[in-house]
Amino acid sequence: MTETIEEFASVDKPPSYYEKLNRDINELNNRLHAFNLLSKIDRGVPFSVKDNICVNGVESTAGSPILKGYIPPFDATVVEKIKQASFSFIGKTSMDEFGFGTFGINCDTPAKNPFDEERVAGGSSSGAAVATAILKHHIAIAESTGGSISAPAAFCGVVGFTPTYGAVSRYGLIDYANSLDKIGVMARNSSDLRYAFDIIRGTDDYDSTCTNRAIENFSTNKLTVIKELVENVDSEILEPFNSLLDTLKGQGYSVEYKSLEILKQSIPAYYIISMAEASTNLAKYTGFKYGHKNMEFTENYNLFFTNSRTAFGTEAKRRVILGTFVRSASVKNRYYFKALNIRNTIIAALKETLKDSLIISPTMPVFTPKFSEVKELTPVQNYSMDAITIPPNLSGLPHMSFPYTYLNGMPVGAQIVTDHFNDYALISFLEAWEKSFKPKFKYNIGAI
Amino acid sequence: MEEKEFDRLLKTCRIKLTKEEYDKIKNDIESIISYFNSIDNTQCQENPAYHPINIKENLGEDVPKKFDNVEGILKNTRTYRFYIVGPKI
Repeated sequence: MTETIEEFASVDKPPSYYEKLNRDINELNNRLHAFNLLSKIDRGVPFSVKDNICVNGVESTAGSPILKGYIPPFDATVVEKIKQASFSFIGKTSMDEFGFGTFGINCDTPAKNPFDEERVAGGSSSGAAVATAILKHHIAIAESTGGSISAPAAFCGVVGFTPTYGAVSRYGLIDYANSLDKIGVMARNSSDLRYAFDIIRGTDDYDSTCTNRAIENFSTNKLTVIKELVENVDSEILEPFNSLLDTLKGQGYSVEYKSLEILKQSIPAYYIISMAEASTNLAKYTGFKYGHKNMEFTENYNLFFTNSRTAFGTEAKRRVILGTFVRSASVKNRYYFKALNIRNTIIAALKETLKDSLIISPTMPVFTPKFSEVKELTPVQNYSMDAITIPPNLSGLPHMSFPYTYLNGMPVGAQIVTDHFNDYALISFLEAWEKSFKPKFKYNIGAI
Repeated sequence: MEEKEFDRLLKTCRIKLTKEEYDKIKNDIESIISYFNSIDNTQCQENPAYHPINIKENLGEDVPKKFDNVEGILKNTRTYRFYIVGPKI
């Protein structure tokens, strides 16, 4: 059986292989809803694209009714690069509307966890994680703002890699929060991850925040556990995490513990900044561009604009209102600028720790919840679920969720973080981890 | 938050809520703002991070470039000849 994309690409496949692949994925997708839209492929390695990243000629809605019918007339840079590397586009993956969610439920048809269909897939890149968990040879192009790659990767038992902010072009991404958005990759193993990251990283004339800094691979055997990242983790997750640390110690890693009090403010700081930016980004959805067409042209502009925006979902409305509030002249120093100052302090604290170590933690503080459980959460409880994924996202630090054990048949993920532009150290860490751990998958569509 | 203040906020951000949404979202907003208030007494640097990394000025030359798929853009809107149709201002 071929294991990696490179091995798979080197094997000749007859047309019947792709016919079966298309049929199988279509059938399973009817149940799991990983894809908003499927495209038939007849060659190459399949790659999927989160629905907030533009693919030329393919409807891209970012999971929102307000973008229904929007057909981008261009490819995002990341899509262009991966197409040029002979990958074949297999479909747009489902997501929370505009990336606003931790569990993948803020959309019309939420993706289901392939290990237990009563449980969530995680969000916001829910479909990307499910697609990776069901397709044997495939790369998912996903995106993270506050944990949207790590959370679903952990719940679905795949590797979720979020590069340094600016390492991958954001041109063609339907923005949520420009200073936080990062395009990344989900895969099943380190080899596929490295292969894809080598293709998609690098500068881009169309994204002025995309840097040409070299990506490093400074490895270290020192791991740091930060008290504030683990103190609110459920005991059923903490117990296997401590066993993981023991295993890693046995493999030659040292583990140190420290406290960074400032991380307690990362959730409010993150949500203030992200909502402020989201509220300005979503202002461009006026109802007569980007697909959604309000035809009441006799209305004056403000009424037309307001009526068009009733198409937003509840969470999008909440974030636009809050984002507008925290930017208000009377309170912007109290909220928005204070949050930016906190972000700087958090970045400094994390970078100091990362000088000579990697930061390790569970990825999510809870066991994969059921749909019925997350519906009961208040917004603040919901946001608190991002407590561990937010600090590296707020700081633009590269991080990765990787599966390390199974509890009651469900995968559990851990998160590893390194310094800016040291992204390859994470892939090297994963390569070493894979020598002692083989992930399990319920489905292996396309295996040869 | 006073109802008057909330209404003004809705008007500013061009969001219209149904009767059912109004009370729920107003309550949510209040509890989230109350949660945000926890940053008030945080000791931190007085140096805002607009971006998580230092980004050198990297702007392109200010020269027009031709976009080949203009028809593709226009397909995403209602048009009259080569104009986008919108509401009156």
